[in-house]
Amino acid sequence: MSIRRKLLVALLAALGVTGVAASGATWFEVRRQANQLFDYHLEQMALSLADQPLAASAALVPQLGLGQDYVVQVWDSGGVLAYISKNGAPLPPASSGFDDVGVDGEDWRVFTLEAPDRTIQVAAPAELRSGQATAMALRILVPILATIPVYGLIIWLIVGEGLRPLNQIARAIRRRQPASLEPLPQARLPEEVAPLVSELNALLARLREALDRQKRFTADAAHELRSPLTALQVQLDMLARARTPEENRAALEALRAGMKRAARLVEQMLTMARLEPEAQLAQPAAVALDALAAQVAGELEPLAEARRIELRLERLESVAVRGDATALHALARNLIDNAIRYAPAGGAVRLAAFAEDGSAFLVVEDDGPGIPPAERARVFDRFYRLPGSHAEGSGLGLAIARQVADAHGAEIALGDAAGGHGLRVTVRFKTA
Amino acid sequence: MRLLLIEDDVMIGTGVRAALRQDGYVVDWVQDGAAAEAALAAEPAYALVLLDLGLPKKDGLALLESLRRRGKRIPVLIITARDAVADRVRGLDLGADDYLVKPFELDELGARIRALLRRHAGRAEPVVEFGGFRLDPSTRKVSYLGREVSVSAREFSLLSALLERPGRPLSRAQLEERLYGWGEEIASNSVEVHVHNLRRKLGERAIRTVRGAGYVIDEAEACRSAASSS
Repeated sequence: MSIRRKLLVALLAALGVTGVAASGATWFEVRRQANQLFDYHLEQMALSLADQPLAASAALVPQLGLGQDYVVQVWDSGGVLAYISKNGAPLPPASSGFDDVGVDGEDWRVFTLEAPDRTIQVAAPAELRSGQATAMALRILVPILATIPVYGLIIWLIVGEGLRPLNQIARAIRRRQPASLEPLPQARLPEEVAPLVSELNALLARLREALDRQKRFTADAAHELRSPLTALQVQLDMLARARTPEENRAALEALRAGMKRAARLVEQMLTMARLEPEAQLAQPAAVALDALAAQVAGELEPLAEARRIELRLERLESVAVRGDATALHALARNLIDNAIRYAPAGGAVRLAAFAEDGSAFLVVEDDGPGIPPAERARVFDRFYRLPGSHAEGSGLGLAIARQVADAHGAEIALGDAAGGHGLRVTVRFKTA
Repeated sequence: MRLLLIEDDVMIGTGVRAALRQDGYVVDWVQDGAAAEAALAAEPAYALVLLDLGLPKKDGLALLESLRRRGKRIPVLIITARDAVADRVRGLDLGADDYLVKPFELDELGARIRALLRRHAGRAEPVVEFGGFRLDPSTRKVSYLGREVSVSAREFSLLSALLERPGRPLSRAQLEERLYGWGEEIASNSVEVHVHNLRRKLGERAIRTVRGAGYVIDEAEACRSAASSS
């Protein structure tokens, strides 16, 4: 149901009900007041008749200026009707005081006064009084009812005017290219609609950003996949050309390594893509950094062994942070995996998790070539590889780590390892 | 035939080098722009450069630009992941002779290399014919005076080198440059050994020794041989 129709129906109904209620109340009030007045009138007439000798009553009645509707009856002490004003049927005798009686289907208001020598009754038709009340009530109700269409028209126009910006926005949206994420025009909006439009624009901006990021990522990914695919193509061609069992074996070996590299890149890209939308923490839970480090170390033990790298759990203290367990696992895995890949054969990778100064720390250290200070900012870029570094690196490991850290409000810093050479990666989570 | 491969991806470099060696080329492989520059300055004998663009230290296009600015006419084949038309246009306009987008097949790479070498030698036809020789670079088959001769990869390279500019002698050192890459042991008399073996297969007069200058294949010699054998 449209706002306009809703407003119209509600306001007009309220107006109608108010009008009816007001005129009803008026009707009751006027009738009550009229009743009092009439009753007083009846009583006064009766009293004035009682002051007169019985015989004078007949002469007095016309002098009282009573309307034709009134009936006056006087009974003597013997109970004989001594006088009745000219019109009307006789009223039945009644006890002293006010009473409502019906005679020949007509309602009458009767006042009976019992004087020592007679009983005086003065009566008026009830309809006379309600008639006045009804007239009064109508005088109030009619103007109110008469204004209803006017109000309706005014409401219709004002609401239409007020909603025009919304219609304009709807039209603007309808006219757009389906893929357009340009902001909506915000000029001359009523203040009720302005927040809606500005929120909508903020949403569009976020969408645009997310879409751009996605596009960039897809383009980057497609570009980055070319190298491993080229390697695979070359290795496959070499396999096809192999003439001796040795060449065949060497080509197969190379192809297998190429597949592994491509698979790893794809896996890393997936991890990255899953983290994408500013990594809203899905289900924040308490994650123990020490247990996480130990778990990832266990997972990467085979890789470390293959490279004859010693994985040392140096300082694991019980420390937990709030965050997304899967994302934090990706962070730890990428850091430790990197360290293992860059440490020289026979070297060591040291892990630590501890709490200090209101922060929780996860530290990964290797004794590889390290990263020159000038490169330390760039290595977090997606697909950035250090010049002259291994071909098998996807260029995504540190980017993934940074993204997870950002999502957790954690800082990630690169430095020199304790031994003077090698890389030390420190992730600092605020726990306070 | 000695080629310079400039490629920073270890797997691709390893594979391409192995493939080109199988094809009988001598391949020197460098992994960054600075090393490529040094190699180009030090070795004048490269027949062709295979150039990746996204290189550490010095970008491939910058390398190409400075190469052409120095007036080097060596054929350059760009091999890159940058596939946008604008990139190709830029590469070719900066002086590349051909542009191959990754991923590529080794057969296509080989064909493009042969085409570039052929064009650079001023020939349109794929088969080299001179002085009674007939060399097919794509099949690496040699025939001499109508008779098919089986030769080793090195011998094929030696014949190709001598037929590159027919009639012009090449010294032993020049031939060594063309026949051996970095780190390859060269026996002091290896060129002589290859020439000796070829003469054994083809006849003494197929390759003439020019005293003080080296070796040459010449038209007249072949004609005389042909005349004498018929």
